[in-house]
Amino acid sequence: MSRTVSSTGRVTPCEHLDVAEPPPAVVVQPSADELHIPTELILRPGNTNCAGCGMSLGLQLLKQALGDETPYMSIPACCGIVTAGAFPTSAYGAPVAASTFASAAAVACGISTVLRQNGDDHPVICWAGDGGTYDIGMATISAAAERNDDIIYICYDNEIYGNTGGQRSSATPQGVATSTTPRGKPERKKDIMRIMAAHGIPYAATLSVAHRDDFLRKVRTARSLTGFRFLLLLSPCPTGWKSEPDESVELVRRAVGCGLFPLFEVFDGMRYRINVRPGGATLEQYTSCQRRYTSAAIDAATIRAGIDEQWKWLDAQCRAFPA
Amino acid sequence: MPRTLLTGNHAAGRVLALAGEANRAARGCCGGAYPITPQTEIIEYLRGVNFTRGRIVPVESEHSAMAVCIGAALAGARAFTASSANGLSYMTENVFAAGYYRLPIVMIAVNRTLGPPWNIWVDQGDSLALRDAAWLQFYTEAHQDLVDTILLAFRVAEDARVLLPAMVALDGFVVSHTQMVVDLPTQEQVDAFLPPCRVPHALRADHPATVGGLTWPAETAHHRREIQEAMERVPAVLEEALDAFERCFGRRPSGALAETQTEDAETVLISCNTMSRTLRDVIRARREAGEKVGMINCKLFRPFPRQALLDSIGQATRVGVLDRNHSPGSGGVFWQEVAATFGGTAQRDGRVIQDYIVGLGGGDVTPAVLNEVVDDLRRRNHAAAPVWREVAL
Amino acid sequence: MTELTICGRGGQGGVTLAKLIATAAFQRGQYSQAFGVYAAERSGAPLAAYVRIDDREITNHNQVRQPDHVIVLDRTLVGPQVLAGLKPDGWIIVNTAESPDELSSIFSGWHVATVDATAIAVANKLGTRAVPIVNTTMLGAVARVLTFDWEQIVGALQSARFSEANLAAARTAYEAVRMALLPGVRAAAACAKSTAAPASLFDENVGAPPTIRTGAWATRRPHREQLTPPCVAACPAGNDVRSFVAELGKNNVDGALCILLETSPLPGVCGRVCPAPCMQRCNRNPFDESVQVRELERYAAEHGRRPAPTQPWRASRVAVVGSGPAGLSATYHLARLGHCVSLYESRDELGGLLRTGIPAYRLPRDVLDEEISHILRHGVKAHLGYQVDRATLLELSRRHDAVFVATGLQELRGLDLGPRADGFVMQGVDFLDRARGFDIAVRGERVVVIGGGNTAVDAARSALRLGAHPVRIFYRRTRAEMPAIGEEIDEALAEGVELQELVAPLALRPDNGEAVLTCARLALGEPDQTGRPRPIPLTSEDAQFDIRCDRVILAMGQGRDISLLPEGAEVRMNGALAGWAGAPLYFGGDFATNDGTVAAALGSGRRAAWHIHLALTGEDLFPPPLQPVASAEYVHWSQFDHSSAHHAPHAPPVQRRRSFVEVRQSLSDEPGHNVAAEEAARCLSCGVCNLCDQCIEHCPEGVLRRDGDCFRFDFDYCKGCGVCASQCPRGVIHMAEL
Repeated sequence: MSRTVSSTGRVTPCEHLDVAEPPPAVVVQPSADELHIPTELILRPGNTNCAGCGMSLGLQLLKQALGDETPYMSIPACCGIVTAGAFPTSAYGAPVAASTFASAAAVACGISTVLRQNGDDHPVICWAGDGGTYDIGMATISAAAERNDDIIYICYDNEIYGNTGGQRSSATPQGVATSTTPRGKPERKKDIMRIMAAHGIPYAATLSVAHRDDFLRKVRTARSLTGFRFLLLLSPCPTGWKSEPDESVELVRRAVGCGLFPLFEVFDGMRYRINVRPGGATLEQYTSCQRRYTSAAIDAATIRAGIDEQWKWLDAQCRAFPA
Repeated sequence: MPRTLLTGNHAAGRVLALAGEANRAARGCCGGAYPITPQTEIIEYLRGVNFTRGRIVPVESEHSAMAVCIGAALAGARAFTASSANGLSYMTENVFAAGYYRLPIVMIAVNRTLGPPWNIWVDQGDSLALRDAAWLQFYTEAHQDLVDTILLAFRVAEDARVLLPAMVALDGFVVSHTQMVVDLPTQEQVDAFLPPCRVPHALRADHPATVGGLTWPAETAHHRREIQEAMERVPAVLEEALDAFERCFGRRPSGALAETQTEDAETVLISCNTMSRTLRDVIRARREAGEKVGMINCKLFRPFPRQALLDSIGQATRVGVLDRNHSPGSGGVFWQEVAATFGGTAQRDGRVIQDYIVGLGGGDVTPAVLNEVVDDLRRRNHAAAPVWREVAL
Repeated sequence: MTELTICGRGGQGGVTLAKLIATAAFQRGQYSQAFGVYAAERSGAPLAAYVRIDDREITNHNQVRQPDHVIVLDRTLVGPQVLAGLKPDGWIIVNTAESPDELSSIFSGWHVATVDATAIAVANKLGTRAVPIVNTTMLGAVARVLTFDWEQIVGALQSARFSEANLAAARTAYEAVRMALLPGVRAAAACAKSTAAPASLFDENVGAPPTIRTGAWATRRPHREQLTPPCVAACPAGNDVRSFVAELGKNNVDGALCILLETSPLPGVCGRVCPAPCMQRCNRNPFDESVQVRELERYAAEHGRRPAPTQPWRASRVAVVGSGPAGLSATYHLARLGHCVSLYESRDELGGLLRTGIPAYRLPRDVLDEEISHILRHGVKAHLGYQVDRATLLELSRRHDAVFVATGLQELRGLDLGPRADGFVMQGVDFLDRARGFDIAVRGERVVVIGGGNTAVDAARSALRLGAHPVRIFYRRTRAEMPAIGEEIDEALAEGVELQELVAPLALRPDNGEAVLTCARLALGEPDQTGRPRPIPLTSEDAQFDIRCDRVILAMGQGRDISLLPEGAEVRMNGALAGWAGAPLYFGGDFATNDGTVAAALGSGRRAAWHIHLALTGEDLFPPPLQPVASAEYVHWSQFDHSSAHHAPHAPPVQRRRSFVEVRQSLSDEPGHNVAAEEAARCLSCGVCNLCDQCIEHCPEGVLRRDGDCFRFDFDYCKGCGVCASQCPRGVIHMAEL
């Protein structure tokens, strides 16, 4: 707005007529008063996880799925225990048994058995990485699944031994560079979902932190069932994947979008249901922002062929045994 | 106390079942079961028990058997299991975990030779390898001592002043598979003897805590020191438990140590398990022949009852230690402890403390063998390297 | 012995730096020792590493407690604790963009060296954006300060197989490091933290929340900043497009209409005739299809309830001259601000061009009547048939506290087609005015309309409806340059109007009762001042042609009639008009701006109301400047699915060309489908928080909370990962370096 002083000295406002005036802005500003913290989190602020850790994302969504229900947790001595920080404090707002590396499922079995024989229906959750699940804990988890222990087993799969600085695991994808496969891992990733489904457990499903509704629904489905339930969470590790922390959710969205990480459920180890079909992202969009995918052993055509095979297999399962 | 004829394994199984059932008014009982010779019959028996509030989980390994016990104890239940030899070795990581978690789990260790080469017969090396795992260790003479000690082990381990797991060892086959007459307690008696199991740091939904989180050096040292202090309280707590036992059952089992004719003995032998029973007969016979010999049965190995040993050794100038175990590069494990006990006090110069490694790999330690040992010891004016005495099955 | 302490964060490579320094010392023949303090804390956590260098064998294995020099890898770690144990002549080597002097408040009296290692590392692509690895860069600075030979540094880097980029970064830092002994009294160190008694496993405080303030690990911080949605920035009327659409998305039709009525009294009109720049700027356009804002505005106007009108409560009297959209807008806003408004219109009906210039098939009369009635119900006195000239205007200004003049463009642009053209030529505005009353007969006539604006298209379509055939539009540029609303052109063509591009009439001669129009063929040339290509005549033989017709309608735009202006008034740049000396006169609408759209006129009228209100009451209602526009780069597209727009049905062309029934119908709900709400839900809410909570739901630390509209980041714990910003679908959360 400008003002023009007329010859009489009276000030008359004049139009600047070529500028659209703004609408009343919707101002959303924090008020000065402290906000009420409504609920205890499963993963509290002050945990020692790296910024942008997929496990942290998963634990927050787990809390959102469970609501006010407190799970009893069995977490093996991996990243998940370092998370807690120094004794006597803990970053976990839930009771946690810090088990030995291979023992998460067996410790959970003991907890679950005692809770149930005391009429206590709290969920018992194993929260273990791919090292504790695919590798050192394989016998333990297989036995717990075969016994159909009343446990929700959630594997946060960051596809490496993250806590020791990023060595290969049997969950590491083919071609990916780790500190023990500096020229790229020659072997394929173990298909834990097929292994777990083969136990005939009531429920197995994959979880994505980028698909919250699907995540919450699956955790709640798992919660509504009894017996051994297995959930596989693709868990970005910015430190190990050499990716940007703020891309953690986006990376998972791309992994789902390019078909590399299918979102599906298996009921009773037999009946399959696909939740999200690929679309909206390419393999290159997923791999290009992770330096672990830069080894010479990466062959996009091979990965793509693997994705196609995986989907062929999934589709065949869905056709033959629809959920 | 009904009198029955039982194998050692069945006696142990029966008592574990009684102890588990005794906690039915509290959080019940739980444990993991995995077979290994010669303890298999214990877990077989337990799997057949219908607990009012309890379950024995059939697991895929000893490692998980102990893990289930850990989970169960962390959920507040009375937890127990059994194992032997390589099973114990495979379990080792979680054995330490149970100790460091301060969980009052009771485990029956049926002693067997660690392989390879493979050997199923008695040898204490398997459980003694776990002596640093923050567990109480009891080495029982035979069936009745086994039954009584299992009950005492629960009571002491679960005592709020102790809160440490307890291992009760017995000789493989010589006890485990041997039928003997034994007085078994009734359920009512066990109910009366064992208070409800209470794990003060058990997981609670209303008080989230991480059991087994990270500790810095100062916290870690403090944690170990607390374990040491708890260990040091064990002899007194055990004495109280013996008093309670006597009130409940009308008799008093032996405690940490049991002396036989040590009052004026010049020569004393220290042993444990069934060797002690054989040795006792040998000692009595030689006493009757006028020799100033005595013996001490060492039931409690962890914590090692140093003060009790100092008190009971009397004027003996020659001390022989029978070890059915071997720490390569050193000698017998009991001998190390005994030597450390006396060497530490440095008050009896010239006392001969001689190690005898006998019955390794299940060799049959007969009175003849033990008489040779006593003869050897009585001839000695100076201690020498451990004396090996290989014997046949 | 020389002892160094390196303060850094997990992931920055502090231990590696220690090893590199030790290697450099080893290469010059010394004994050295390098080690870190290994703890369980992760990327970003403060960590220490140490170096010892001596000419004799080193036997000390303790942590360095009294370093000779300190190296700080991260600016956020700078503080008096860095000085703990530091020997008096020690250097403090800091990674910061600041000069040593700028650290004098913390390190006065100490030797300080600074280098912007982060910038150098980023430039050499070392590490990630969140955690640049600065160790090799800092090595260069350390080498310079501690007088290592450059060859020893090269040797250390090469022996550890570092890339050329690391070498280059080290060299840059070697040369860029700035060193100074800061003046003043030597600053004191901070005390070490006290240690509490160790806890027991059985303590009641086991499981208490962590005491680590992980906020100290952060190098970046999120902040919320709302931007202006492009639709809002584009709306000349100043409508809060996003907000009203958001209410519709929540099925709150009344709320949506209320938001519209805050800025515009004519949502029903704009919902029909607006060229909708909001839709042109809609970020959905390149993604799939614009949100159908115009249809939604119409839907709100049709289905929403209007709040009860307020009555004037102020003594101030304002006259508004002209009842077109600008006059109506000023009237409405002034009345709502409590002023007594008298509205003067020269015709016998209100509405101005809305009534006379826009055909009923685009804007039904009852819609206009209803919205004008609503304005009048705010206690407005309307004076019809009131002709205003310079004298009456002066008179009005004496009787009122302010006068707003929005008489539009009364001067019609003509075209000289020769002396004998008159009988065949008429102005489009006049034609439309007469057509609406069926006061003109063109049945069977061949009609040519000259022009490319809305008046041309309206005139052509009205002629068609009145039975003319054929109806042609002659335009001197091409379809792409026509100022008329694109959809209107499409509809006209569908109805049978013909468009001849690159044609300009030159002359008209009567011939046996019909007109022969001579036209020139044109081509597009270089852009003119308006940015549109300049039409240039062709020079070829067939550059001219004749066409026979019965009527020529001119629709070439209008100019303002400045005879109304008081003497002494002058036209200023950017269309601003000075008032006449002494009189409280204000000018607006097309008269002032020549923007030519209803929306622009509405905005002009509203701003005039603010000017007048300010002058009369001293209350300033002008909003603050707009925030930057949330362009498509701010939108995180991966979180949105493609969806096609919901379009309102059109009457079929065959039916339209025979009547003046409304061509476009409104968005109609279907059973089980609230079509308007579904369409509104397509809005991305660009740059404006709509409380979707994606940021909160995806905060890995759980440190972002919301209570109503109030957000709080707990910076004691926020690690600055940036997931909230990357997951905000609409670009409201931004990361800033600390």
